[in-house]
Amino acid sequence: MTQHHPDSLTLMEFSAGNLTEPHALCIRLHLDQCSHCRSRVDMLDSLGAVMMEQQPQVTVSGSMFDSILSRIDSEPAVQDLSGMRKNRVGPLEKLLGTDLNALPWKRQLGDLSVLDISDRFPGQSEQVVLQKLTAGGKALAHTHRGEETTIVLQGAFSDKKGVFNQWDFVVLNQQDEHKPVALEGDDCITLSVLSAPVRLTGTFTRMLNPFIR
Amino acid sequence: MIKQQNQMHATIKERPVSTLDQKPARAEGRKDPWSQMLEKVGKSQDREAYHALFQHFGPQIKYYAMANGLSSHAEELVQEVFVSIWRRSCLYDWRKAAASTWIFTIARNQRIDMLRKMRRLSAEMPVETEDLWQIPGDNEDEPVTSLHRLMSERRIRESLSLLPEEQTTVIAKVYMENKSHQMVANELNIPLGTVKSRVRLALNKLKVILQDQNV
Ligand SMILES: [Zn+2]
Repeated sequence: MTQHHPDSLTLMEFSAGNLTEPHALCIRLHLDQCSHCRSRVDMLDSLGAVMMEQQPQVTVSGSMFDSILSRIDSEPAVQDLSGMRKNRVGPLEKLLGTDLNALPWKRQLGDLSVLDISDRFPGQSEQVVLQKLTAGGKALAHTHRGEETTIVLQGAFSDKKGVFNQWDFVVLNQQDEHKPVALEGDDCITLSVLSAPVRLTGTFTRMLNPFIR
Repeated sequence: MIKQQNQMHATIKERPVSTLDQKPARAEGRKDPWSQMLEKVGKSQDREAYHALFQHFGPQIKYYAMANGLSSHAEELVQEVFVSIWRRSCLYDWRKAAASTWIFTIARNQRIDMLRKMRRLSAEMPVETEDLWQIPGDNEDEPVTSLHRLMSERRIRESLSLLPEEQTTVIAKVYMENKSHQMVANELNIPLGTVKSRVRLALNKLKVILQDQNV
């Protein structure tokens, strides 16, 4: 059961369809596993429906309904969509095309491996990164120059703010210096969307920072 | 939590479905007329019901497209949404969403999809619009949640009229003009924090905020 959820304002931006695709992916992956947030988004969708209903009236051209009917008639009969509900490949699998652990991870310092998947999102300016901290491993202390949205995909990590388990959602910014440690048992894999590169706070030079090119 | 559920049951019993034109049968008490029509479309491809839905929601969707900068494609979006409603109607379950909420999410997804196609991004992206934006869990039964869903739309409609205009303006810009909170702040020339607090106040009043554990 996840403990750390997106805040209502972020869910509202999701419900309104205003998030960038990498951010929408983080929310979607969380919603997949969190019924609490699903019901919050349901309510926000209802808010969207009521907002749409309360706008000024416009008229729709008279012939449009006929064009819609002819489109429907020219298409094959309504297929059985029940298959859509089951056995769907998840968005992450579609995006990566393989299992998380089989990815071409790039080993960084010590316990950390990373994989930049920003190129899977053409037209987005954010950096999208998968990070893997080996079970029990430590990451270097760092702050965040911009805002970093992270969702835990596998395993768990802890920092001074608490323990973040699979599907937990966390947003970090300039004020948050942290030194995450992966819990024992499983490698901790996270998906992060960065609005700006992270900055190391220790004595290491910038060339060691995986996020500064 | 249990207390809240009881209250919701009580609310259903004591509040007649006053917004409906037709007097609904007892068993259908929680269904609004649009949800009944959408169900008919899904079950028996009822074209009369489909037309009624079109007359009610078509203009709303057209305005939605116009408000968020798709003016020259507004009617195209209405068409796409209605074709999609027809195709997906067999999946509609009135216990899980009111028709208007269900149709809103289709309109939102089709808008995102249309913008994507205009930017020619779809071809390069392995994930589809629905992979990112459709709420998962179509086939699960969450009875309490379903009740929440049904109640929430009615409650939201009722309490929205009680909100101060400065709050509804911000929400309308987010939903109808698809502006981020930051863009709304820039446009209204007020700090981002003010926009966020207006939204929070509104959501609190609409009881959309259940538990914001991270805040
Ligand atoms: Zn959640």
